[in-house]
Amino acid sequence: MNQNIGILEATYYLPPTRKTLAQVFEDEEKSTETFAANVDFEKDIGIDALHVAKNETAADLCINAARRTMEKSGIDPKEIDLIIDFTSIPEDYVAPTWSAAGQVQKAIGATRAFTTAINTGGCASYQTTLKVACSLMSANDRYNTALLVAGDKTPEFNDNYFPITVVSDGGSAVLLRKNMNKRRILGIEVATVGRLHDMWVIPGIHNRKSKDIGGKYPRWLHVCGDVQRFNKELIPINLFMFRKVIQAVLKQVGKKMQDVSYFVYPTFSAWDLKAFSTAFNIPPEKMSGEGMHHGHLQETDMVVGYVDALEAGRIKDGDLVLLATNGAGFSWGASLVQN
Amino acid sequence: MTAAVGILAASCHLPRHKRSVEDLFREEGANFTADVAARLGIEQVPIQNGDASETASNMAVAASREALQNAKIDPLTVDVVVEYSIMPQEYLVPVWNMSNKVQAETGASKSFVVGFSGGGSSNFMVALTSAAAMLSKNDSMKTALLVTGDTTIPGNRVLNPDDPVTVIGDGASAVVLQRDAPNGILIDTELWSEGNNHDVCYIPGGSLMHPDDITLYRMRLDKARYDAFPKAKTLRLMSDRLLERARTTLSDVASVLCANISAADEVAIQEAFEGKVAPVCTSNRQSHGHLLGTDFPLNYLSLMESGSIKEGDHVLIVSHGMGTTAAVSLLRC
Repeated sequence: MNQNIGILEATYYLPPTRKTLAQVFEDEEKSTETFAANVDFEKDIGIDALHVAKNETAADLCINAARRTMEKSGIDPKEIDLIIDFTSIPEDYVAPTWSAAGQVQKAIGATRAFTTAINTGGCASYQTTLKVACSLMSANDRYNTALLVAGDKTPEFNDNYFPITVVSDGGSAVLLRKNMNKRRILGIEVATVGRLHDMWVIPGIHNRKSKDIGGKYPRWLHVCGDVQRFNKELIPINLFMFRKVIQAVLKQVGKKMQDVSYFVYPTFSAWDLKAFSTAFNIPPEKMSGEGMHHGHLQETDMVVGYVDALEAGRIKDGDLVLLATNGAGFSWGASLVQN
Repeated sequence: MTAAVGILAASCHLPRHKRSVEDLFREEGANFTADVAARLGIEQVPIQNGDASETASNMAVAASREALQNAKIDPLTVDVVVEYSIMPQEYLVPVWNMSNKVQAETGASKSFVVGFSGGGSSNFMVALTSAAAMLSKNDSMKTALLVTGDTTIPGNRVLNPDDPVTVIGDGASAVVLQRDAPNGILIDTELWSEGNNHDVCYIPGGSLMHPDDITLYRMRLDKARYDAFPKAKTLRLMSDRLLERARTTLSDVASVLCANISAADEVAIQEAFEGKVAPVCTSNRQSHGHLLGTDFPLNYLSLMESGSIKEGDHVLIVSHGMGTTAAVSLLRC
């Protein structure tokens, strides 16, 4: 598909304030639903503390990550042709009318860029956005450099995503460029199961209930997951869908599972990481997981897992890296990067 | 673009019920003078009546089904559903997006979905050019379903009531795109954003900044900055760049389609484009008001039905996106 489009630079930003998991569970409402997996959600999750943005806005998290990435890359912001926001939770203002992409453009001085945002895929918005960005760059001679940005600030008292994970605040930015001979994106595969569209939603202020007005919890801004459907409809197909996108992306580029040197996977929970690695027979040293100490960072997990592994030397030149995730909606995505 | 991608079919699904602009002004406490009426040039707009069939996503599903039927496309062969709505949806975007529901209810179960935010009516061109790029550059993809459904926030149909800019109606539309389509070929698109204007037109309340202030849950326009943005001039400059790339000129363009914002807006675009704005834009604006991204499929269908376009004619589609994202697409019919 692409003209040697690769990752020129990638970075993430985490706000310095941390909150312990014990404090999160004390502050927030507890679900009365039961989770089908045989685990203790609070004890077995494998995450100790979360990053919490205080006065920083969600757009600030995007901008901080974008600035770090620009600094590391050394490129002039005026070289950027596209800015795509791939944030997957509510932003500062209501979407789809608004996205942070324009604010990022203004903040970093990317005056030549065209800006937009991709608002589907949940955590898999990373893969969906890669697919769109690489297609736009391949199809248009004038799009040579793209900046993908995300900034997630969790609405107050909604860090607990029972039964999946606990979520942290943070931002990430990825610079894509044509004609790269390193960190080339070989293929991207995305799949969606639309019938699960209303299993995981945030109601919005237009659906708020009168009993919630003036209360402690802004419930209309909190995720509402249907745990019964989650147990019955999502869990049985989750690994099947992962296998589908992984096999499809490997087939796309003529590679096999054994060719993959390193796997980047989201930091939902210790048991989820174990289930994935067991299902695909991946040894721990070939899989991201150190990011667990940050908590789950939505779509930014893909960037954290990749950047941490690069910086720790776990990914070497020439390695084939597979990044796979699922996301609300429900979507699954897999991409292959030749380092 | 390498492989040609074109429009196979399009469809609009609008509420049956219409409200007069005069009524809406009265309801929203805005002053409907003769001068305002002349500047807007909108007589009535379609408004959902509260029926479940007229929610944004249900209208989007209906438009999608009709577009697929018109294109004679089996939903199972759709590779991607691309969504371009602008107004808030049934649940909060981006955690929820109607494209997933459209995928499920049209039976496009082998597709994946993608939706775009920001950019006002230009979101349609963003969706169009992104879908065309995916179809032309991914061997495994051939057919895309583009879809939107927009319903206004009640009491927020007159944009900027103190100095009205447009009156927004409800509606949905869908477009089927295919690689190697015989006509309706998307030749190229020019997109441009002004980051300083990211908050010229937005909804301030209901998300992280003002989570519990329902009075701010309204689409607001910063009229001074909106007026300061050289909308028609920018669109003409962008069109000239695009036409030059396509090795053609405005004189070779048969018609220009713009968004149905107001008579004043259309006059400015008409001047910039040397009188080439199609008359269907005027009639659709008068009878439907501004339907956001749906303006373009509506005007495109009307233009095709008007008999004024023949095979091979070039059509420009232009949108200033309220000063945030401007877009111009060139089609060969």
